[in-house]
Amino acid sequence: MEEQLKKALDFSNYRQTFSIQRRTLKEKIEAKLTYGCNGGIFKIDRSLITFVQLLIDQGRVSGVPLIDANDNPILIDNLETFRDEILDRYFTSTLEYYEQYQDLKKSRSVEKLLDL
Amino acid sequence: MNCGALIFAHNSREVDYALIAIISGGLARKHLNVPVTLITDASTEAWMKDSGTYQKAVEVFDKIILVEKPKTTNARRLHDGASNKTVPFVNTNRSSAWDLTPYDRTLLLDSDFLIFSDRLNEYWSVDDDFLIAGTVTDIYDQKRLGYHDRYVSDTGVHLFWATTVMFTKNERSKSLFDMIDYVKKNYEYYADIFRFDHRQFRNDIAFSVAKHILDGFTTEAKITLPPLLTALDKDILVSVDTNGKLTFLVTPNSDSEFCAATIKNTDLHIMNKQSIIRNAESLMTLI
Repeated sequence: MEEQLKKALDFSNYRQTFSIQRRTLKEKIEAKLTYGCNGGIFKIDRSLITFVQLLIDQGRVSGVPLIDANDNPILIDNLETFRDEILDRYFTSTLEYYEQYQDLKKSRSVEKLLDL
Repeated sequence: MNCGALIFAHNSREVDYALIAIISGGLARKHLNVPVTLITDASTEAWMKDSGTYQKAVEVFDKIILVEKPKTTNARRLHDGASNKTVPFVNTNRSSAWDLTPYDRTLLLDSDFLIFSDRLNEYWSVDDDFLIAGTVTDIYDQKRLGYHDRYVSDTGVHLFWATTVMFTKNERSKSLFDMIDYVKKNYEYYADIFRFDHRQFRNDIAFSVAKHILDGFTTEAKITLPPLLTALDKDILVSVDTNGKLTFLVTPNSDSEFCAATIKNTDLHIMNKQSIIRNAESLMTLI
């Protein structure tokens, strides 16, 4: 197997490995941006955050129904708590994405990509 | 509501599914923090005792439930990198999960699905009695997947993946599992209707057809568990380090040339079972 791995490393195109590493990193971050709340599943993204903040700015902070990722209406009791939770997750996840992506970009060989 | 995971494992002469289930169960228990139950049979349990893995199984599993090993003529071609072998495959009792599960809300897992994150914890409280993975994501590229990874046949319905299933034990989910059992028992008939190959029984197909029928002959693909990040059976798991980094040889064109990749902290469906077994010792240290 060691010899096979060495052959693979010789064959490996840097871009191919980079592409796989980026793909799996994106998958990991997407997992972190999935948020289950009150029986619904929300995909945390910019439009959800913006919409929730818009509702809060309009004074709608409690008993607000939101449409979740499965198109089901989910009643959110406290929208400010919900906003804080999704904002926290969004920033934590995107910061992790940024840091790990920088590490990927700095790795200029297959071996270094695999070391991350 | 008590929640837990359920894994089926029936050894064949070629594959030690019990060993894989111990790894899968241990990882599920660690990362999801829920109890895990193993469904197996007397001969597989005896093998665990002979091979020295039974003590680990007792540590990992909340319960070990023995059932009669299903009699089957089912066989499948298992790849291990470039080589492959057709082996017996005992997988026909998954529809009994509803009756066997000790939990109110159950995560039914294939033994080759390894959990390295708490992502699935978001789904315990989802207001749906039955959830199943709707798609797969290839670790290399979606281009490696074929039409039959998305549909049960050329003209058939959407293919769901029974690798991960979550259900609440109630009458509504019972009717679905009864339907799955009915499809299994009348597999050739449904193969004729839905135009899939009946020669090898696939749980994915039985679950997909049953779900399609009970959804009113429509496919509601949206309410699903997350896509399954999948390493195909032609990819090889080469090593597992103590930090949980898995190194793979990935074959871009399903031939003998490989490139390398690593995966960490991400749930992963590893179809190459022999490579899980070769790395069992390292994987065991992660549970």
